[in-house]
Amino acid sequence: MRAITGAYLLYLAAPILLLFVGSFGATWTGTLLPSGFTTEWYVEVFTDPSFRRAFETSLIVVLCTCVLNTLIGLPLAYAINSAARAGVRTAARIVSLMPIAVPELVLAFGFILVFSSDTLPFLGTTWLLVLAHVVLTLPYLLNVLLADMASLGLEDLERVGATLGASFKNRFFDIVVPGLQHSLMSGLITVAAISIGEFQLSNLVAGFLSRTYPVVLLQAFYGATGFACAATVVLLVLAMLAAAAGALTARGAQTR
Amino acid sequence: MPIHFDAVSFTYPGTQTGVSGVDLMVEDGELVALIGPSGSGKSTCLKLLAGFFRPDHGRINVDGHDVDTLSPERRKLGMVFQNYALFPHMSTRDNVAYPLKVRGAARADRRRTADDMLERVGLSGLGDRATKTLSGGQQQRVALARALVFEPRALLLDEPLSALDAGLRVAMRDEIRRVQRDAGIATIHVTHDQEEALSIADRVAVMSDGKIVQVGRPDEVYDRPRTRFVARFVGQANFWPGTVCGPYEVDTPIGRLSHLQEGSRPGDKALVLVRPERLDLYFEDCKTPPPNYFKGRVSQDRFLGSIRRFDFAVEGTVIRVETRDRAAPMAVAIPPDAVRLLPPGDNE
Repeated sequence: MRAITGAYLLYLAAPILLLFVGSFGATWTGTLLPSGFTTEWYVEVFTDPSFRRAFETSLIVVLCTCVLNTLIGLPLAYAINSAARAGVRTAARIVSLMPIAVPELVLAFGFILVFSSDTLPFLGTTWLLVLAHVVLTLPYLLNVLLADMASLGLEDLERVGATLGASFKNRFFDIVVPGLQHSLMSGLITVAAISIGEFQLSNLVAGFLSRTYPVVLLQAFYGATGFACAATVVLLVLAMLAAAAGALTARGAQTR
Repeated sequence: MPIHFDAVSFTYPGTQTGVSGVDLMVEDGELVALIGPSGSGKSTCLKLLAGFFRPDHGRINVDGHDVDTLSPERRKLGMVFQNYALFPHMSTRDNVAYPLKVRGAARADRRRTADDMLERVGLSGLGDRATKTLSGGQQQRVALARALVFEPRALLLDEPLSALDAGLRVAMRDEIRRVQRDAGIATIHVTHDQEEALSIADRVAVMSDGKIVQVGRPDEVYDRPRTRFVARFVGQANFWPGTVCGPYEVDTPIGRLSHLQEGSRPGDKALVLVRPERLDLYFEDCKTPPPNYFKGRVSQDRFLGSIRRFDFAVEGTVIRVETRDRAAPMAVAIPPDAVRLLPPGDNE
């Protein structure tokens, strides 16, 4: 058992380790390991204008996706949770989970069909990219929020708030939002991690000047190996930071 | 301020459950316990009063004003929930001060009033604690303080003690009663625990199938229940089918019993009720037997600590008896005033 687990972990970690090693290697052609040590690849990645632009685009897209997710997700989760009829709740949950079940490629083709038309010529804009990411990530946030709403006993908290004289506005901002702040945070970090690493949909929907980091990264593999490794490590570090922050926030929510 | 349910009916949409024709008056300062098995509609009455649902028929008045058009936040009713529903992200003091905050009280005033209220429920000095660090009994007091701090027109308690363990529950009964007396407001206390209801309430309303079956002082409801259901719900009981055979006499499977109840005619069917703790025990045979005297033997003996509950076998049937005596009696007598005749139809 232990041997299998060890082998599996090695299998998982080996490519990542190799990437890391490769990003500092001066030359790497045909051999198992690169030779020489250099930080030049990282300098090159950071000074490459198309990579810089993609990095900035990615950050903007992540930020906007998170903001839009909050503005849409909180009220939507609240509405689903407080829908009186159980059937409505189930239907809303299924609809909200659709983007997880539907392959991203299908989603992307849908976007292309709709937004390359003359009436809605938005294909290639950053805004459309953000919108695509929101569609993709919102279900994850909704799931986290809905689970937390159930475990908090939000319905009773709101009812007691009402008997104590709190208006709907009071209840939403004094009870619902603060009660959900931890799950909102951990949900948003999941959203950010997905948005940072998203490739399929972005690759098809993004315009030439609004390409996100993973899309541009694909180009790197046609160039020097070390450069590709360094560019990938940058993405990896970003995604891992997001995941770690997510884990920490989730733990904070549990000890609440 | 008095609460008045006037022929209130309500059915949960899409179901058969709810309440029908509920009439209930709760006077100022009075504590009325609503008891009944789960699903009998007692919590529904509370939710209608709080304003979470609106009655299909009838009216609910608080202090002479119809409240049915008011949303819950405008009714000014303090409510304690079964799970307390304390706000997890607020300190104990902020929980208690919340009703004052939404009413726009100044920060310093809120703090002072909340601390005063915490003192009244015996929690002075705990205002800064997070509510999850408090014990169950303390959380209960916080919920009570929060429900009373804004001087509500009435107090609504929805099974407030059911989450506590047995010993604490008894202590908290007295505590709730003390705080409620102190505040002097009309209170409805919903519970399925008959002992809790009898011990805490000025009056008890017994509910079954969405209707109030009997309202009265605790001793009235216990001693003179109107139906078999009420008799059984508020305590242990012997029931025998009976036929009235003369003035103050009724035939039952254990024999002829004399009683003191007016208003029955010979030939009438009746259900005979005797509370098990009302029996007199005899450890030697009696030379001049009292009325309703039965010889027999103990067939089942259950020791419960403060009392013993045993079955006394008499001519094929049994009489259930509760006593503090440790010895086994050889005869029992039922005092005529302990025999109650109930209508026979209620076979529940």
